[in-house]
Amino acid sequence: MTYYIFTLVFFLFDYFILAMGLNIQYGSTGILNFAYIGFVAVGAYVTGVAAMPANVTGEHYILGLGLPFPLNTLLGGVAAMGLAGLVALITLRRLRTDYLAIVLISLSLVFYDFCNNDVSLFNGADGLYNVPEPLTRALGLSSNGFIIFFACLTGVVSLLMWLVMSRIMRAPLGRTFRAVRDDHVTAAALGKDTFRMQLKSMLIGSFFAGIGGGLLIQFGGSFNPTAWLPGETFVVFAVLIVGGAGNNMGMFVGALLVETLLVHLPAFLPDIPGHPGLIEYFDLALVGLVLMVMLWFRPQGIVPERVRRTPSFGVSEKPEHEAGRLDRTTALAAALGAVEPAAGAEEGR
Amino acid sequence: MTLFWLSFGFGLVTTSVLAVAAIGLSLQFGITNYVNFAYGDFMALGAYFTYVLNNEVFHLNIWVALALAALLMGGFGVLINRLLLGPFARRFHSTHYVLIVTFGLSLVMLNVIYSIWGADVRFYALPFGVAHHVGPLLLTTNQLIVMGIAVALLVAVHTTLKTTRLGKSMRAMSDNGTLAMTSGIDTKRITTITWFLSGALSGVAGAVLGIGEGNLTPAAGELFLFVIFAAVILGGIGSIYGAMAGAVVVGMSTEISAAFINPAYKLDIAFVVLILTLLIRPNGLIARPGTT
Amino acid sequence: MSITDTSNPAAGTTLSAALRCSGLTKAFQGVHAVNGAEFSIPTGQITALIGPNGAGKTTVVNILSGAMKSDSGQIFIGETETTGWPSHRVARHGLLRTFQLSRELGGLTVLENLLTAAPNQAGDSLFNVLTRPGLIRRQERENAQRALELLEVYGLYRHRDTPARELSGGQKKLLEISRAVMGSPSILLLDEPMAGVNPALIDVLGNYILELKRDGVTVLMIEHNLGVVERICDYVIVLAEGRTLATGRLSDLRQNTEVVKAYLGEVMDASAAN
Repeated sequence: MTYYIFTLVFFLFDYFILAMGLNIQYGSTGILNFAYIGFVAVGAYVTGVAAMPANVTGEHYILGLGLPFPLNTLLGGVAAMGLAGLVALITLRRLRTDYLAIVLISLSLVFYDFCNNDVSLFNGADGLYNVPEPLTRALGLSSNGFIIFFACLTGVVSLLMWLVMSRIMRAPLGRTFRAVRDDHVTAAALGKDTFRMQLKSMLIGSFFAGIGGGLLIQFGGSFNPTAWLPGETFVVFAVLIVGGAGNNMGMFVGALLVETLLVHLPAFLPDIPGHPGLIEYFDLALVGLVLMVMLWFRPQGIVPERVRRTPSFGVSEKPEHEAGRLDRTTALAAALGAVEPAAGAEEGR
Repeated sequence: MTLFWLSFGFGLVTTSVLAVAAIGLSLQFGITNYVNFAYGDFMALGAYFTYVLNNEVFHLNIWVALALAALLMGGFGVLINRLLLGPFARRFHSTHYVLIVTFGLSLVMLNVIYSIWGADVRFYALPFGVAHHVGPLLLTTNQLIVMGIAVALLVAVHTTLKTTRLGKSMRAMSDNGTLAMTSGIDTKRITTITWFLSGALSGVAGAVLGIGEGNLTPAAGELFLFVIFAAVILGGIGSIYGAMAGAVVVGMSTEISAAFINPAYKLDIAFVVLILTLLIRPNGLIARPGTT
Repeated sequence: MSITDTSNPAAGTTLSAALRCSGLTKAFQGVHAVNGAEFSIPTGQITALIGPNGAGKTTVVNILSGAMKSDSGQIFIGETETTGWPSHRVARHGLLRTFQLSRELGGLTVLENLLTAAPNQAGDSLFNVLTRPGLIRRQERENAQRALELLEVYGLYRHRDTPARELSGGQKKLLEISRAVMGSPSILLLDEPMAGVNPALIDVLGNYILELKRDGVTVLMIEHNLGVVERICDYVIVLAEGRTLATGRLSDLRQNTEVVKAYLGEVMDASAAN
């Protein structure tokens, strides 16, 4: 029982981290990263091979550094960032939204195919197993004790990452990301290097993906290609959209509702005899349906993006009557009442 | 019989599958202007419909089953557009939403297929194939029929687009939807017909993919998706003839490369083609006028 | 074709050029939208860019602001050659522009729209965001102060916390101009600032533009309304079929030749029809 509950707690916090990463990319910057789970996988694998000793019989993998937590996880985050940087350099500068989505989903499929087939990199289809449980020996934890400890540790990590992400999103940088999302032509006309901004957003988000992946492999002690089928990206999108794109607290709500209650709780149900995996299939189909229903009836999500009001910028507001003090302002306000929306004149050239 | 010619023969089969799939996707894109990420699962569903008609009920001959499944998939395409994708595309100005919805549709379809047919590998009941020598190539009857079907469909699509009123309307809509509407084309009807055609083509493509590979699995369509994307983008997205040309290049290069590299990675060659295309000629071999 | 010497800044004056371009060409699928346009814009003055529909005015503005690359030709801002620079670099060099159809950052509030335009923000760097929160908070406060003052001037103060997509057409127009001003431009390109604007607002907008000139900003504006041009613009550049047809004061151009007279007549008709 404790095991079940703390497994759910772990996934709640881990998907909170993952959703925040996708949120800065898609929710804030508008990059439709359909390869997100690939970056999570890189983080998981690299953390794994960084944590594992050089030689484990029966497994083939690169590195094998035997690094302790949190260094291995950080390396995983940095590796995911590195891949994101490479992908962004090749694709972001030249591609429109749908081409980018095509390339990213293709990348995800190819990378998956490659990891599944190539044994030398991350042990192929069997994946990595016997990944060390961090700090278990130092703290003398039982296996149940480890689950509880690691779920709480993930909670602390997610809190730290939430603080960092909140600061980024509230800063001018976060505003510039949203400007690029809303209209990259205007953002560029205001002096913003839109490519650099998208690159930054990709890097930050992928770091979160990598950390989330690193925690994932250490929690389970293993990670193989069945854990990150390209469809998994969609689960993170479902968390994001149900929670509310653009809002960090929404990511927590989404992780709770989608990942914890919808995806993981039914996984503890016993299999229907003679139909292995049926519950899981139904469940994932349900995630897809929930997302469509949500997009139709409440596209802003359960916790919508917050509107930042004037006082939060550290300036005081004038009372309304004083605001209209200047004569021409009032004259203008009167004139504005009668202003027609700009008619669709010739655009573009 | 060298390894090269063997690969060449496989290349022709893959090209045939790819050409049918790529044209179906291009037709859809031309009308809708967004990419359907569930297209691979459309193919899988077509393959399993064929399987049911071929192995479970009626025990129809594979080619008859394929034709019926294609009709079913045509109807399915129309329904999906009417009930799901069409409303989303009309309601939201940004294409993000409908792209996410097609991605979600892919997850739903894949898992429904898993729920019904399970993860086991299945096989069609194929008539015993005899190998024929065609020049330096050695091809089975079934492979020849697959190629024949592809050629027949390509010719049919070409003739429809070039000579019929329907085809002209479709091309007009693909070039400029608003203009087509204002010039009196019944865009709603054309949209429905296009979805029917592309749905049917996806069904055929899924079934012939299964026949060509010798087996079928639920995820086969999804994993084939990026190969289709490579062909479509190489040809210039939305261009039917570009899709045909792209299918030839991608289909042949993936199979022939299998003679030189580990065949497990042959499909990944398609990704290399995709990236090179985007770097060198992002609008594809045949750029559509007005979309540059 | 050229009636006055276009190589001199605005026809024979001795003012220095804030912006000059020569030999600009741009073709869209074989159609030459801009075909050798060349002119200079005098520093600290208001210059109008006029010409019939399809003369290539917006394309010229797009090229000057870096939103489009010209096929050939050269652009100088002051003494710096900016040919081929991307938008954001041109903007950081002090040239800002507005769009013919307002382009608001719809999900941002009016205040945030202006804050986005503030130049040299430390808070756009991830490193500063993580390590220097005090500096960023101070900058934000100063920028917000200035933005609110501008919003007051432009009559948008009470809408400061409204998401920009909810503004009316006229308000979006004002937002567009005030946002560009927030970027502290030395050169401001206005693409039809008066188009689609209520006549009551035209005079107000005109006064704003004159005020910008008083603050030392060089303005180039595309304008169809010759009444407005006459009232606020110092110089006029006439564009036709992608070429510079004439430059000079509107009064000079009016008197100069029959050709120009006929041509200006056409523009007048067009503006009357609008």
